[in-house]
Amino acid sequence: MAAPNLSRDPLEPLPLLEGNHTDKTINDSLLDHVWRGAGKGWWALFGCALSMLGLLVIAISWTLYKGIGVWGNNIPVGWAFGIINFVWWIGIGHAGTLISAILLLFQQKWRTSINRFAEAMTLFAVICALLFPLLHTGRPWFAAYWLMPYPSVQRIWPQFKSPLTWDVFAVSTYFTISLLFWFLGLVPDLAALRDSSKSKTKRMIYGLFAMGWRGSGRHWAEYKWAYLLLAGLSTPLVLSVHTIVSFDFAVSVLPGWHTTIFPPYFVAGAVFSGFAMVLTWMLPARQFLGLKHVITLKHLENMAKILLVTGMMVTYGYVMEHFVAWYSGNPYEYSEFFRVRQHGPMAPIYWLMMFCNCLVPQIFWSKRARTNILVLWFASILINVGMWCERFTIVITSLHRDFIPSSWKAYSPTWVDVCLFIGTIGLFSTLFLLFLKFVPAVAVTEIKELRHELDHAKAAEAGEAH
Amino acid sequence: MSAGHEDSGFVARRFVLAEFATPEALLVGTRKVRESGYKSLDTHTPMPIHGLEEALGLGRAKIPTIVLCGAIAGAFIAYAMIYFCNVIDFPINIGNRPLHGPPANIPITFELAVLLAGTSSFFGFFTLAGLPKPYHPVFESEDFARAAVDAYFLSIELPPEGDPQKAFADVQAVGALSAELVTESER
Repeated sequence: MAAPNLSRDPLEPLPLLEGNHTDKTINDSLLDHVWRGAGKGWWALFGCALSMLGLLVIAISWTLYKGIGVWGNNIPVGWAFGIINFVWWIGIGHAGTLISAILLLFQQKWRTSINRFAEAMTLFAVICALLFPLLHTGRPWFAAYWLMPYPSVQRIWPQFKSPLTWDVFAVSTYFTISLLFWFLGLVPDLAALRDSSKSKTKRMIYGLFAMGWRGSGRHWAEYKWAYLLLAGLSTPLVLSVHTIVSFDFAVSVLPGWHTTIFPPYFVAGAVFSGFAMVLTWMLPARQFLGLKHVITLKHLENMAKILLVTGMMVTYGYVMEHFVAWYSGNPYEYSEFFRVRQHGPMAPIYWLMMFCNCLVPQIFWSKRARTNILVLWFASILINVGMWCERFTIVITSLHRDFIPSSWKAYSPTWVDVCLFIGTIGLFSTLFLLFLKFVPAVAVTEIKELRHELDHAKAAEAGEAH
Repeated sequence: MSAGHEDSGFVARRFVLAEFATPEALLVGTRKVRESGYKSLDTHTPMPIHGLEEALGLGRAKIPTIVLCGAIAGAFIAYAMIYFCNVIDFPINIGNRPLHGPPANIPITFELAVLLAGTSSFFGFFTLAGLPKPYHPVFESEDFARAAVDAYFLSIELPPEGDPQKAFADVQAVGALSAELVTESER
């Protein structure tokens, strides 16, 4: 694991690209894992992912066959695993957009090595997320009737004043824009794959997807704008999506949901969990796909810093929620935060959330922790767990004990709920492993561009020194 | 389309494809070739190169205008749709709340503006670029397989009466490593 270079000046920043490269070596090293046959490790992971996907198929089939009564949610806990997992997955997707769009606008050079990877995660996470509300409609094949505004014989329109309808528009827009952005970035790389393929079949297939890209200067001139504007559009989009998701809760009157801090706190939490998920997958991928020269310790360290920052934003959200619950003097609000959450039947999940989301990221104050692969990996897993617990705490504890004790009821998930959740992890992993097998995990074109930029910067620096 | 196109038959387009060693050399070469009077220039590079728009003498990019129109159209369609549904087509009086409640319309208006702006950016680009286009004469060159990998090409479309030998000499004079003539094949 990347032994520290002792001769390095400790004040000098870690490099973004390791070693000396030409366009050709970058091209070959980054496409290598696509051409190389799938290794044993890949097949083992793919097997696990497929078996989890099998669970998903079983759970979905059973849900559709029996109806959503097989899920554990029932009044008063009318929303449970469905929305927890929906919010969790959508949040995971947000890191991809943050890395690809917001960091592009801020001209953060380090984003280049990880954006393709993170954007793919966005897509797959949103697919997993979308499954839950669709299944929760009970009969998804009828869902279009009440989700989409189209002129039907019933003459009824969706309720445009409901955050759930806003959600439909936000999430479907998010998925579409993420897909287009990802594909647009991929086209030059698909051309590179087409042109470096050895067999005719592969050349045909990649050629089909590359759509006859020939790197034309006239195309690049428009392409740069199209890409930049998609990034510019994604930036407010990603903020709006989780804001609208948080409105699903915040617009209600339930203690624990009815707070104005939800939109920023949900967005910060989304980025927090998304970066954790990117790290969970990136650390093994850079190891096994031979990407260490482009995804360097510098990238990992920056990501750890983002985890620290967003972790503290999330912590601030928690503190504020509790403060307002106390300061407002509202007995239901107070009881929710200081009795039900901390001492109720779901208290272990609440304390696990506090531990994982508030304490665990604090180790990233230490540079040694930020650059230690194992620490990063375990912390990222814990943060994923913590963020899932957060959504569980928000949804379940608020619902299962509301205003009147006579309406309280305990909640427990059924096997179908659990299988659906594990199944979406399988779906995500399957899609992701296929992505790693067939498409370059790193944006090759952008790395080539970055290398030229870095060379120019170095040359300019050397010129000034003389 | 080439100028000599006639009904009787196919006139193959001819391109001179010149390779340069570095992006900087390509920039200089392109500018000089354009200044010496060549028309229909294009470059083929594995990545976008800063300054190439000026070297090729391209005007302002059209995408930003297209995207702006998409965004305005999206916002307008969304707001008009909600207004039509809630106020004109199926007004429901719920507790005497206003039928037209602007704050509640903002999220969907914003989302549809982004959706149409984004899709117009994507499809606008592919339309402007004329892609997908599986065949282009430059693909006839064996070397062109490196254009998406690590080579920097300048292509000049020759007019029917153009002399490739003169073009070869001209590109070599501005620093091209090599040059070849590619001819469109009839399909």
